[in-house]
Amino acid sequence: MVMLNILVGGRAGQGINKVSEIISNVLIKYGYYVFNYRDYPSIIRGGHNFNVLSISDKLIGSHESKVDFVLALDKNTVDVHKNDLKKGGAVITSDEFSKFGLNANVALSAALIKILGIDKKVLFDEVKKEIKDSGSLDAAEAGYNSQTIKFNLKKLNNNAKILDGNTAVAVGARNSKIDIYFSYPMTPTTNCLQELASNQIEDNLLAFQPEGEISAVNMALGASFAGAKVMVGTSGGGFDLMVEALSLQGMSEIPLVVYLGSRGGPSTGLPTYTMQGDLDDALRAGHGEFPRIVIAPGSPAECIEKTNEAFYLSEKFGALSIVLSDKHLAESEFSYDSKINTPLKVQVKRNVPGEKGFVAKASSYEHDEYGLSTEDAKITKENADNRMKKYSEIQKECKKFEMIKIHGKKDSKNLIIGWGSTKGAILDAIEGQDYKFLQVLYMKPLSDEIKKEMLKAKKIILVENNLTGQLGKIIREKTGLKIENRILKYDGRPFTSDELKEKLEEIK
Amino acid sequence: MKNAMKRERKGQPLATDVNPTWCPGCPDHMIFESARRAVLSLMKQGYKRENFAMVSGIGCHGKIFDYLNLSGIYGLHGRAIPTAIGMKIGNPNLKVIAFTGDGDTYSEGMEHFIHACRFNPNMTLLVNDNQSFSLTTGQATPTSQQGWKTKTEPLGDFNKPLNPLMLALSAGATFVARCNARDIEHTQKIIEEAVKHNGFSYVEIIQDCLIFNPEALKRDKMIYKLTDKKRTFDEAMNLAKEFDYNLKDGKIPIGIFYKTERKTLEEEWPQLNNLIKKNISWKDLKK
Repeated sequence: MVMLNILVGGRAGQGINKVSEIISNVLIKYGYYVFNYRDYPSIIRGGHNFNVLSISDKLIGSHESKVDFVLALDKNTVDVHKNDLKKGGAVITSDEFSKFGLNANVALSAALIKILGIDKKVLFDEVKKEIKDSGSLDAAEAGYNSQTIKFNLKKLNNNAKILDGNTAVAVGARNSKIDIYFSYPMTPTTNCLQELASNQIEDNLLAFQPEGEISAVNMALGASFAGAKVMVGTSGGGFDLMVEALSLQGMSEIPLVVYLGSRGGPSTGLPTYTMQGDLDDALRAGHGEFPRIVIAPGSPAECIEKTNEAFYLSEKFGALSIVLSDKHLAESEFSYDSKINTPLKVQVKRNVPGEKGFVAKASSYEHDEYGLSTEDAKITKENADNRMKKYSEIQKECKKFEMIKIHGKKDSKNLIIGWGSTKGAILDAIEGQDYKFLQVLYMKPLSDEIKKEMLKAKKIILVENNLTGQLGKIIREKTGLKIENRILKYDGRPFTSDELKEKLEEIK
Repeated sequence: MKNAMKRERKGQPLATDVNPTWCPGCPDHMIFESARRAVLSLMKQGYKRENFAMVSGIGCHGKIFDYLNLSGIYGLHGRAIPTAIGMKIGNPNLKVIAFTGDGDTYSEGMEHFIHACRFNPNMTLLVNDNQSFSLTTGQATPTSQQGWKTKTEPLGDFNKPLNPLMLALSAGATFVARCNARDIEHTQKIIEEAVKHNGFSYVEIIQDCLIFNPEALKRDKMIYKLTDKKRTFDEAMNLAKEFDYNLKDGKIPIGIFYKTERKTLEEEWPQLNNLIKKNISWKDLKK
């Protein structure tokens, strides 16, 4: 359960992320768990940005719609969010800290830390580490002294870490010993490119930003063919540009991993907001019939593991693996303390150019076993059959991994089905209640266990962050079972746990 | 994937046993022969066969992929250039040659052409320019002569042809050349020079389409060979202006227009420099 929700708001450029970061880091050191939701328009300076930072003594993965504190770096934040306050909630503005200039945000964080009753030293250590500006400590001092203790948070023994989905995908790629990441910047996956680029020399990898997504994916296929382990990263619009090359992957069987972080669509849509609207696209994009793997992690820890599985499966089967995420998972910051599975070893065992006495040919045309074009009917049919056979082998191999997860009350007859970034809000909403939550991680292949779980349930509820219930449709296609109860949200905002709890009550 | 070395044609090294399906007399046969001889000659000069890799786009030109027995990818229409650059980043020790056409490079894949000139990867781009989309039975490309009437443009192509050499020069290509497909020896020599060049080498090969754009046939007397002299950028630009692709008049210079040195894409990236120094690929890199 979330204990406190703190909204931090201001204009873009005022440093609200720093406020969340300082408070998060201090609380993590104090043994707490945090979740940080970022809400910002597509603006570099000005406008209105806010974060909702939620705090708990237990693992959480979502925020709530009503908040305990509003930390306001500008007046607009007070106007927009005063109605979001819970009864007894408080607004703290940065007015009295304006003399600290850009460090006003440090003062504001310090004010909250004091209210929570956390030791000043923990705060100062954090500020010293994070901000080199000499004025920051004075600002922290002033902020801390401006408030009185309202909560006496006890120090706990938990030892969580903070991670966002983008960084986690990058970690998963590094765990897979990625060689080259090709990506054209696009929200919400740009931070994955930044993360992989930041330490590329030490990490023995290369992060390349070409002239566009079409180039990115064709380069990736060229590099993969030459023996490198590659991934491309993008969002819906860029993914659509890559589609012809996905089909080339299907024909040439050159291993390829795609990281797709969706946002509100169609078209340019809501560039900085979230939506699970691209599942159908990920499952079907590309002309012709060829196998693929689509995996949708629901937390940063799962991003690490599932990205690694995507690399493993792509390389093993010469297949296309798509890691599907969205803005909410990619850019929200989660605390986690679970152990990450030992990474699977990803080995390139294929013949590649450069080997003496070997001519390796890969083709976009239907081709014979040497890679030479053919229009022969018999070979065409055999190759198509082989592509299907490969998919059967992929299905078999995927069973070694967690294709679904069961959460909540294991013997409950009320079954919630969801995927991806809704996981956090669902888990927080059903805590201590009579629900079982079936989280689907492998969208393709789809696990046979889903039908078994559905047949055991009395009431089934689909939860998705999209208009048409896309997972519900593919489950129906696979199982013949229609899910009658659907909770769908498609306003660009993620579910909050209290909102979801209410919606679930309505159905019950 | 089986070893295509087993498909080598007896008595014709670097050729597969696949029979070419280009039209009889098509200069694509000659470009194939120039490329084959160029690689054979380079092998005699110490280049290793296994280090050559090819990419082709889609169009008549692309069929060379099935006939020239080198490793590589038969890629997508317009996308041979990024595929080839990717191969270089994937293994900077490969000698990569992209075989493309005018529809491929100047129409569908124009963006990649310009950026490849900027990036300066150490690879070779050959463009078979027959001034028409021929595999789709004759439509105008960006280098077709103005006014050309086709079934899809019965009113004639309104546009002035693009001058791809001027474009390559202004975009920063470090090696710009043109050849005549029917001059096999000269084309072979230019391809060899292009492969040896340290940087992005672009070779435009003018060729006739005997079937769909016969108007473009009457230019033999316009063609003349450039001397080997080193030229400034402005001199190269002026030479490029001599032929405007409208066929009616002017001279058509062939040979190396411009050659200069600039840090290559591979030299800019320490990771790739490291692989070059150790003479290994990412696959062999211990991590």
